[in-house]
This record gives sequence, structure tokens and C-alpha cells, in this order.
Amino acid sequence: MVFRTFAGLGLDAHGLRVEFTDRGRSPRVVLDVGEFRVDGGSQVAICGPSGSGKTTLLHLFAGLERPARGVIRWGEIEVTALGERVADLWRRETVGLVFQQFHLFPGLSALENVLLPLRFDRWSIDPAMRARALKLLERVGVLPGSDAAWLSRGELQRVAVARALLRKPAIVLADEPTASLDRDMANVVTDLLSSLCRSVNATLVMTTHDRLLATRLDQAYDIVNGDLRSQTLACMQQRLKSVA
Amino acid sequence: MNPLPLIVAELRRNPLGCAAVVALIAVAVALGVALSAQERALRLASARAADRFDLVVGASGSPTQLVLTTVYLQPAALDLLPARTLLLLQADAGVAEVAPVAVTDSFRGYPLVGTTAKFATNGGKLSVVDGRAFQRVDEVMIGASVDLPVGEKIRPAHGTPAENVLEAHDHDAQLTIVGRLVRSGTPWDHAILVPIEAMWAMHARPSSGTSEAVNATASSHVGPPWSAVEAGPVPALVVRPRTVTDAYRLRQQYRGRETMALFPAEVLNQLYAVLGNVHDLLRSVTFVFDGLLVTGVLLIIVTVISARRQSIGVLRALGAPPAFVFVTVWLQGAVLIGTGVLLGVGLGFVLAKAMGAMVSEQLGLAVDATIGAPELALAAALLGVGSVLAAAPSLSTLRVPVARLLRLA
Repeated sequence: MVFRTFAGLGLDAHGLRVEFTDRGRSPRVVLDVGEFRVDGGSQVAICGPSGSGKTTLLHLFAGLERPARGVIRWGEIEVTALGERVADLWRRETVGLVFQQFHLFPGLSALENVLLPLRFDRWSIDPAMRARALKLLERVGVLPGSDAAWLSRGELQRVAVARALLRKPAIVLADEPTASLDRDMANVVTDLLSSLCRSVNATLVMTTHDRLLATRLDQAYDIVNGDLRSQTLACMQQRLKSVA
Repeated sequence: MNPLPLIVAELRRNPLGCAAVVALIAVAVALGVALSAQERALRLASARAADRFDLVVGASGSPTQLVLTTVYLQPAALDLLPARTLLLLQADAGVAEVAPVAVTDSFRGYPLVGTTAKFATNGGKLSVVDGRAFQRVDEVMIGASVDLPVGEKIRPAHGTPAENVLEAHDHDAQLTIVGRLVRSGTPWDHAILVPIEAMWAMHARPSSGTSEAVNATASSHVGPPWSAVEAGPVPALVVRPRTVTDAYRLRQQYRGRETMALFPAEVLNQLYAVLGNVHDLLRSVTFVFDGLLVTGVLLIIVTVISARRQSIGVLRALGAPPAFVFVTVWLQGAVLIGTGVLLGVGLGFVLAKAMGAMVSEQLGLAVDATIGAPELALAAALLGVGSVLAAAPSLSTLRVPVARLLRLA
């Protein structure tokens, strides 16, 4: 099965419902999304405090978790209908992931970390991919030979961004990518994510608890009681406030 | 797929832990290998030492002591056989060769063994590398390990090395070392080999003055056949029968009230049984010890793996197929176990050699421990079991949903 697409894929999700059942208690509704669309190639932020279900939502979009109900469709592919193994394959071919805790592998160099996803299905690295990895590292400003164990948090996340974009994914999903960075570095990383996604026309969905950061993308949503609500109005007000 | 960079990185992350795991496995394997190799070598060496002793005849007493004294030269005062027994055996048509073995005296801690030149050289199989075989009653040969020069004149003391202090009385007889035997790997390498006639001269007729006795017989021949006048009493006779039938007949014939006859193998088998029991005990101790070590190693591996569960989740989220994750995690364990087993075999070899050297020192046996098929089979079995066990932790993580692994922050 070949999922490879080079254009940004649009997202269409509706009727999503996720419940958590704590031991012996009645189920608690975490997410209850009526309708949510993202245009292909656009960049959206999903805002909400911790515990609001941002990570779960992103896992759903990545096909890492299944909703109790509802449909998620990326382009033509209905992710919620894929089997686990097929979803793994689809994700590898289509999605670039960025995590809050970077999740680089210490002991591997920055370059090897970026190239790691290629090791999953081939023995040696295509020179063109190596060149692309080096170019990405140059773009994010980290020396390719530096051991991930010794990089700063900002550098780690920049390497992680390079890793996510190596295979020119159609979708980039970033879960709180700036939460453990300071303000300046958060802006740098967000801008890198944004411009690199733009360069490969990838659709970017980023969760954050930082509403100011969300304004750097095309659109922002809030998670309110498990549903997604467009932030346009609230955002404008906040922007006006910060200018004033 | 190519998991090697990741495996190398993971192993490099915790060099001390890896070294500890490898060391524990190596020690466990080394113990098992050394014990097995050592026991095999000891059996071989002790059997080889008894090779030329087809049938041993002695005065009634302890069969074990007869073998220990005659074959392994462990000093002990054995009762003497009358000269008549020697003459009877010498005349027996079923006897190809009969050689007296008398371990009575010592010189500078080396036992003096009275025998024939033919038996001392194992019928010519052991060559005299330095000098020649003794031909006169005042000549002696020395074993390969005796630290005396050929040509040296010695004056033996009566009694065994241990008894010398209490019962020291020097013989007047002066004996000349005329040859050194090639190494045989048996306790006889430490012996000074004397013509049995010299022993008779020194002991059987002490009142007549040994010096004259030795000198009186110096001109006459040494070695068989002995006349009734020449033959004296001896503690043990080693008999080489012509046929197997003769062997059993002679064994039966000389089992009586005054004499006993036995194949050293009979006694050795009893010794092996005791050795086997000790070995079994050691082996069970080693088994428990190894069990503890393996449990420790597994605990370390499980701890390490559970600490890596999140990394495994990340790999899966990034799109790593389960096979990649499995191979990566399994190889990490397998590399450590494999290295440990290999080192253990090497260490076991060294350990077996060291134990062999100690035993050689104690028993005078050339115990040459080698790593053979049984030890390699043991190592291979451990490697196999280890590899299977190393698969368990990664298999367990493959069942956990990726999203849950990712949340293990």
C-alpha cells in the first residue's frame, strides 16, 4: 500500500468522542468534537490548558489512538478505519511528529537522529536523503555531529523538527513543541516549524497552551469542554491587548 | 532495516551497566566451564597415570592405599610381599612382565622408587633425554621434574619425605644420577628411580652394612630375571599379563589371605565416584549461583527495558515496524549476553588452567584442562537460553499500545 503524497492533506473530523474510564467510576468525556476541518497546507494551533485533551486529540489525528466514536479523514484516507499495522505504515509515510519532550535518542548524533526514521526500512541511507538531512540541520542551526546527549533543549527541539520534516510529510503534528522552551526559543521553533512546513506544503497542526504563540499560525482553536472553538475573535482581542 | 546505530547508541549510554551485565554473565559461564573442563582433565590425567599399571599385586591391606602409593606415589608404609611372590609371578607363563615398585626412601623431598629400568621407562616409551638408563645397582634415573643435575651423587634417607624428620637415618649408599626421563605427566616425574636391587641391598640386609651390600652387588646385573638369592621382599608388584584371560586369572589367583591383586581402574572408579559426588555438589552450588546471577542479569535487563519503554513508544510513533523495535531491543540484550558468554568461555579456560596448575602441584598429575565439546555445548546452551530470555522484554512492550508508551513521561 502506498500512501505517499507530497501535497498537504486536508483534515475532516466529525462526531469524535473519547471517554476515559477510571477504575470503578462512570466514564468521563474527554473529547466531544462535533465538526473540525483543516484545509490542506494550512497551519492551525489548538490551544488549551493541560489536561484538556490536546495530546489525545493529536494522537487521534496521528492514528495512534482510536476514538470511541467518530470519523477522522486525511485527504482520501479514513484514519479511524485503518487497522493498527496499516495505520503505522500510513503514519510513517505521511506524518511528521514533534513531541514536547523532543524524544531524541542520546548517544546518536544530531544527524543520526534526523536519519533514524529511514533506518526502519532500509540498511543504508540514500545520499540524497543525507544531503537533505544536512540541509535541514543547517536550516535549524545545529551541527550534524553533535551528540544529542549534549544538546540544549532548544537545539533538541530544532533537531526534532528537522527529523519530522525529513521525508517531506504531508502532515506535521506537533504536541506542545514549545512547552519546555523559553519564550524566545519557543518563537524560533514555532517559526521554523511554520516555514519548513510551508516549504514542503505540509499541513501543520500544533497544540499549545500558549495563546500568543498560536497567533503565529494561520488559525487557532480553543478546546472548550472537549469541543474545538475558533479563536478568531478572542485572538484579535488578545492581540489588541498586547499591542496596547 | 538497520538498527545498529541505535543499538550502539543505547549501549554507549550506559557503559557501566553494560560492563556489569557482561561481567556477571562471564563469571557465571566461567565457573561452569572451568568446573567441567577441570573435571574432565583430572579424570584423563589420573587415568593416564594408571595406564601402565595393568595389574597391581600387594600384601593384603587397603586396595586404595596400594594404588595411591604405587601409581600416584603417595607415601605410605605398605606391608611387604615375600620374595616368593615375585619369583612365582616371574615364572608364570601368563606374565609378560613383572616389576617391583617400592616407595620407601626419599632424597630432598623426592620419593625414591625402586623398580626396573624397563618399567621406569614404560618399556622404552619414555625415553631418557639426558644420559642413560641405570645399569648398575649404584646408579639412578630421575623424573623430568626432579631438580637435580645428572651426574650428581646422592645419599638417600630412609623413610618418606614426611617421615624423614622423625626417623631420619641416612643410608651410606652413594648413588649416581645417570639419566633423566622425558616428562610423562604423572607423579613419577617427581621421583628418583632406583634399581630395586639397591633397595634390597639397603633394606633387606641392613645389618650387613649397606655400603658393602651395594658395592657387593654393584658388579652383578640389575633387572629381571631374579634368582632366589637376588630377589627380596617388595611392597608392590606391577604385572603385565599376556592376555586378558591371564589378567583375570592372576587377579583371582593372588586374591587371598596374604596377597591382594587388583586393576587400578577398579580403585579409580571408586575414587571417581567420590570425585563425582563432590563434583555434583559443586555443580549444584554453581547452578544455584548461576541461577542467582542470571536472575540478577534479567532484572537489570528488565529494569533497563522498562526505562526504555517510552523510547520504544517514540520509535513506534515515528513509524518503526514492530520487527525493528523487537530486533533493536533483543539485539541489545543478545549482544551483552553473547559478549558475556564469550568472555566467560575465555575466563573459564584461564580458570581451568589455574585450577589444573594447582592440582598438578598437589598431585603431581599433569592436569591439562582444555575447552572441549562439553564446555562449548554448555556455553551454547547458555547463549541459547539467554537469547530467548532477551526476547521477552521487547515482546512484552510490543503488546502495549503506542499511545500509552508515549504517555510514560
